[in-house]
Amino acid sequence: MKREIFESPINESYVKAVCSSGVTVYVCEKPQYKSTYAIFGTKYGSIDNCFSVNGGEKQKVPDGIAHYLEHKLFESEDGDAFSRFAKTGASANAFTSFDRTCYLFSCSDKVYENLEILLDFVRHPYFTEETVRKEQGIIGQEIRMYDDSPSWRVTFNMLENMYHNHPVKIDIAGTTESIAKINADLLYDCYNTFYNPKNMFICIVGNVDTEKVLSMCEKTVTGNGDTEITRIFEDEPQTVVKNYVEQKLSVSNPMFCLGFKQNISSPLRRLKSKVCVALLLEIICGECSPLYERLIKEGLINDEFSFEYFNGFDYACPMFEGESENPKAVADAIKAEIKNLRENGIDKKLFSAVKCGMYGDAIRRFNSVSEICMQLTEGAVYDFDIFEEIKLLKTVTCDDVYKRLDVFDDELSVLSVINPLE
Amino acid sequence: MSATKFEISKGAEGIFVKNSRFKTTLVSFNFYLPIKKETAAQNALLPFVLTSCGKNYPDFRKLNFKLSKLYGAQLSASAEKVGDYQVLKMSVSVIGDKYTLDGEVLTSEAVELLKSLVFEPKAENDEFCFEDVEREKRKAIEHIKGEFSEKRIYSKGRLIEEMYKDEPYGVPKCGTVEDVEKIDGKMLYKAWKNMLSSAFIRVNVVGDAVPIGLFDSISQMLSTIDRTDITDITKTALTNSADKVNCIKEHSAVNQGKLVMGFSAEPYGEESNNANLLVTTDIFGGGPYSKLFSNVREKMSLCYYCSARSIKIKGLVTVESGIEAKNAEKAQKAILDQLENLKNGNLTDEEYNSSILGITDSINSYNDSSEALEAWYATRFSDDSFVSPEKFTEKVKAVTKEDIIKTAKGIKLHTVFLLLPEEK
Repeated sequence: MKREIFESPINESYVKAVCSSGVTVYVCEKPQYKSTYAIFGTKYGSIDNCFSVNGGEKQKVPDGIAHYLEHKLFESEDGDAFSRFAKTGASANAFTSFDRTCYLFSCSDKVYENLEILLDFVRHPYFTEETVRKEQGIIGQEIRMYDDSPSWRVTFNMLENMYHNHPVKIDIAGTTESIAKINADLLYDCYNTFYNPKNMFICIVGNVDTEKVLSMCEKTVTGNGDTEITRIFEDEPQTVVKNYVEQKLSVSNPMFCLGFKQNISSPLRRLKSKVCVALLLEIICGECSPLYERLIKEGLINDEFSFEYFNGFDYACPMFEGESENPKAVADAIKAEIKNLRENGIDKKLFSAVKCGMYGDAIRRFNSVSEICMQLTEGAVYDFDIFEEIKLLKTVTCDDVYKRLDVFDDELSVLSVINPLE
Repeated sequence: MSATKFEISKGAEGIFVKNSRFKTTLVSFNFYLPIKKETAAQNALLPFVLTSCGKNYPDFRKLNFKLSKLYGAQLSASAEKVGDYQVLKMSVSVIGDKYTLDGEVLTSEAVELLKSLVFEPKAENDEFCFEDVEREKRKAIEHIKGEFSEKRIYSKGRLIEEMYKDEPYGVPKCGTVEDVEKIDGKMLYKAWKNMLSSAFIRVNVVGDAVPIGLFDSISQMLSTIDRTDITDITKTALTNSADKVNCIKEHSAVNQGKLVMGFSAEPYGEESNNANLLVTTDIFGGGPYSKLFSNVREKMSLCYYCSARSIKIKGLVTVESGIEAKNAEKAQKAILDQLENLKNGNLTDEEYNSSILGITDSINSYNDSSEALEAWYATRFSDDSFVSPEKFTEKVKAVTKEDIIKTAKGIKLHTVFLLLPEEK
């Protein structure tokens, strides 16, 4: 088994190992902790609706199928995974995002029993036409719940108008129409393609013994061939669909999401760019920035205001969200501040305060087994060492951050607004 | 993780939860006041105004700058309703000095900062600054109005409001928009004075050590305040059972309906700090092994979510579910059937064991989160409930099937709130 040990200056370390099946395992021991958090995941999410296997023909599958599969995988011939975890006391869950599907448990006892269940149920799909059909009701309810959620809608309306073709614009659960096309055969096809160990990862953090975990993974997760998956995306024009989109929903305050489409030449961002853009966002409108102070004083934003560098396979966009009486004024103010920074540079004092804050936040995350596990998952999907951020934050310069102002182009911005019904 | 209690002064105590596993120290000030219609809004606004600026940090940008320089120290404010009380919380969490890059001293400075914000506000002539009050009022009003946008929160709020009309527990935790609008600098200053003189106070520390001199310095500050009449936090009234079930129906422009039900729960068991209601509610609608999840959601596919929670101190059980309008009646009946089932002793070993194991496992993990530990000790209201999470798991394990069935028999439907899509 090929393995690497990653060390940090903050008294944490973890092991990354590749089992003979091809699955990558990350183990971070926290012997002082009582609980353990574990994820068994695949690099398969809602954006994977068109692909080819081993250089073969292009396959197009219905939107929402990764999420549908997540729901169905909990079932087996003799009861569902929940009932198996009920016997150990662990709490289990799963989620599907744009680029991954993850199955997880957290527990404070019987960790190896739980790991055995996790490793087992994810590798043993069982569904029939009947059980697949039955799920349509529940997923349909879930879709309707998200249709009513203004915070969900405001983001997806933005993405739908930012991207012409990239599947990140599609709702993770699909639509009532698209999920009606899903059947057992399609689910098995997708399962066999994306749930092969080479495409999967296991992350476990907490009160565990590395050797024991690795030997369990080696023994239980066995290979099913050398499947090479190629994601196929239609060409994405370097424009947006529309700069402004509005929807009316049953809300009391208007909500907004402002995104800037970044023109990218390769599918993946380097960690250093991610850290620099995150710092830049803090400098533009974080709580220490002059713009944040002004927006609060002018009554244009409240504590719901947030921002992130939203990015994944072949998509990247800095994003600002919040509630405002006047979303257009907020969007204009953010654009004006970006222009101001471009022309007048970044205040060195602000840069150093923001960097210091972010360094502390990065350390704070190592308090929690679930947060470390989520970071390892991110590291598994995008292949980086989770201690790298702390190291980068020591060395990154104001100039490095200034250069990342190139991710913003007003022409490629989309403002999405949810307004109250009349 | 057991806690040590320190007597700071009359009606004020310090709780220290020693825990060396974290990279941070968390210090919180909790002020407990009775919740009343007339004062809820002003009390709830206080933590937010106090943590936005202070005598030594006259504007919030300077304060935020300072927090960033303290390696992103997290300053938080909240106002929660626990039983018939409002808990006003102001806290700071800061990474340990040993993690700094240049040997800075963070913990003591962060704690001094928090103390100065709580005890030395920015005020002149017994009045808070107009601009600060208006800014926080606007944010509070937007927050209260914003609850309407998330229908799950809105529906639960409406249920509680209807269920406890004219009772303290029916007062929204942050008051109403109208009450917030009436607040001015003088009124808020008085509320602050009242908080210092009449609130029961708990200062919680979760970390490696109590910051040197913290409890003594608080004791000194409180000694200058007249604290003769201090809130007794043990007087929450239990929920009365309803003679007739109250059903409220509202329509809104939504796709999915919400069915929320409130039940009164009679306390059962000789020992007051028992876990009977907790386990009973969990079997009824807690984990995926519960009756509501496995039957109403999984077998009958009647709702995307359907879960029950209990608030022991109030003798309250609530059920929340997301439903299709056409299934509203069916879902309500199915939920009540499951409760009836439990009352009739329909309780398998599997359900029972799963619940005990599930609750125990989850409570044991509280020790791995400083926020969870802080919240645990902030909500222990009576002396006999003042036990560690581990100790409480023994109470969970002591609950018998018979206790559960008897507890279930004391759960009675009180109010139903239904939010449905507009009729076409």
